[in-house]
Amino acid sequence: MSWSEFLWFAIPAVICWLTAGTLVYLNKKDSAADLLMVAGIIIFAAFIIGLWIGQKEPPLRTIGETRLWYSFFLATIGYFTYRHWKYKWMLSFSSLVACVFVFINIFKPEIHSTDLMPALRSYWFVPHVTVYILSYAMLGAATITSAIQLVNINKGKPDPKLYRLMDNAVYVGFGFLMLGLLMGAVWAKDAWGHYWSWDPKETWAFITVAAYLVYIHIRLLKPDAKLALWILFLAFVLLMITWIGINYLPVSQNSVHTYTN
Amino acid sequence: MIAHKRKIGRFPWRYKESLVFILSVIIIGIVLQVTIGKVDFNLFRAPVNIITGVCIVLFLAIFSLARKTPFYRWFSGVPFSVTLIGALLAFGLVMGLIPQQPQADSQQHAIITLPGFNQVTSSWYFVLVYFITLLSLGALIARRLIRFNIRDYAFYLNHIGLWTLLFSAGLGAPDMKRYMMYVKEGELEWRAFDGDRRTGYLPVTIQLNDFDMEVYPPKLILLNRLSGKLQPESKPDYFPVGREKTNGVLGDWKIEVNNYIHDAIPDNDGTYRSVAIPAAAPAANVTATHTATGDVRKGWVCYGNTVQPHRVLPLNSDCCIFMTQPQPRRFLSDVDVFFKNEPKIHAVLEVNKPLKAGGWTIYQTGYDRKAGRMSAYSSLELVYDPWLYPAYAGIALLAAGSVCLVCFGNRKKKSYELE
Repeated sequence: MSWSEFLWFAIPAVICWLTAGTLVYLNKKDSAADLLMVAGIIIFAAFIIGLWIGQKEPPLRTIGETRLWYSFFLATIGYFTYRHWKYKWMLSFSSLVACVFVFINIFKPEIHSTDLMPALRSYWFVPHVTVYILSYAMLGAATITSAIQLVNINKGKPDPKLYRLMDNAVYVGFGFLMLGLLMGAVWAKDAWGHYWSWDPKETWAFITVAAYLVYIHIRLLKPDAKLALWILFLAFVLLMITWIGINYLPVSQNSVHTYTN
Repeated sequence: MIAHKRKIGRFPWRYKESLVFILSVIIIGIVLQVTIGKVDFNLFRAPVNIITGVCIVLFLAIFSLARKTPFYRWFSGVPFSVTLIGALLAFGLVMGLIPQQPQADSQQHAIITLPGFNQVTSSWYFVLVYFITLLSLGALIARRLIRFNIRDYAFYLNHIGLWTLLFSAGLGAPDMKRYMMYVKEGELEWRAFDGDRRTGYLPVTIQLNDFDMEVYPPKLILLNRLSGKLQPESKPDYFPVGREKTNGVLGDWKIEVNNYIHDAIPDNDGTYRSVAIPAAAPAANVTATHTATGDVRKGWVCYGNTVQPHRVLPLNSDCCIFMTQPQPRRFLSDVDVFFKNEPKIHAVLEVNKPLKAGGWTIYQTGYDRKAGRMSAYSSLELVYDPWLYPAYAGIALLAAGSVCLVCFGNRKKKSYELE
């Protein structure tokens, strides 16, 4: 299987997710939404597995390929968080964002199959990138939560349960973020001779980690809730620069992390 | 709200005092940077870094006697640590936006070079904040270790791991040695160069027995022979050869690959045959049919190398099919390594598969890019880092702490939720 078959899987998955995200608000009994959501996830996963087999290499190198995983994880995490916390918007929002990333892959693919360069040929490759994308999805969910809570605060009725959801998502997402960073460090020692060289991508990963650390620690004390919510939003912007925006920065010219042409 | 009634500077200190403190440190750092230049971190070479470490630990032990004082509580507390992380984040942003240079570069504006914004990690403000971070984090760990509670294991793993990693990566850095060595095929080499291109004589000699390289099958592209631009210009087409699919489209031409030879050398009759020698290069026999006119072109395409000419398939007066340069899949050096008074070590070095021996790690880093597989030399990097294992210990602790975060999330119910 290759990218040329993407539409055959992407469109059904998008239809399933968007319908599930809508149905969850309409139906009292939400088993239809559950079913559609899971179906969408399975269809999407089938494409990822097919692409992996077709390319004979894990689809994790190009930004287009990592977006594929982002959609997948966001839908999956969104679904399980919805099941656990019973927030309907969680399902709708994560479906919507997952679909946005699917559409970016349809309209602006950047998927020219670049061959895996020697430095990437390592057993660290798959866990390093997967864990990062998982973390991005978790932190993305936390950011959506913070936006909802900001709206609630402006209405004068913040939901205490949302703070707990948000903190949990950040803790789990941050754990994955650190694991990705540490795996990257150990891998870099084997590939480039040092575990930390302040390469632009490493520098931005450091910035992202620092921003989430600020959030986590600020929440330990008297919670100036609004400030913490805004920090969470800002942290996500920094995370997006680390992931995507960095390719457009002048510093990335010398980065060893730039793989796509 | 008590915070509003409290005057700045009166204990307990919080964010305002922390901010004033860190900003003062940064300003002092910038003044030092402008007046006396960057920090020579080489001053911390062993044994100075070990002595510094012992002093820090002794200081923290004595300082912990004052752990009930408001100053200690502030210095090891949340507002100060948030401010410290914020300062490090700001330094990170400077590094992430202004290209960093290992050597001073006169091309950048004085506004950037004078305060050391192009070499943040060796600037005074960065080094000062680094030491304060070690002390503040250390003071927090000391305070929490004294009232040890096993249920806080995630806290201990994360914070002690971070302290260990920060210490080994920072104060251990000047003990690290990195050298490049360029070894010619069939020859012995003992000279190596450091980052400033100075020759170093290391306790190791390396003989390169063989250099080899595997490449990926290349791609076919449509090239305008006059402008050299890829076609169609708005969205260039690529066609990967040597894979399952044998037909595709390049611009207005339908492509069929009749034959692909990965290790090809040219024959006398203008065709290619497969011979597995380093001078071989990928070649493809292609039939191109114009979708509108039905014109057919057939012929061989090859990127070539230093001994083989490249060959294109001309389609019309301004277009041709061109093969891209094959990208390396892996490159390896078969070497014999001799350490002083040690038996010979035979190894095959490859990217991601370095050799660890005699306290050194030897990496495959490069080759003659123009010659590719025909490269007459291999460049190797030799790294010595005595602080690697402490750093790995820190990484292991942090990884365990991160697993705790992933598994348990944030379990504690905070007091404000009950309010």
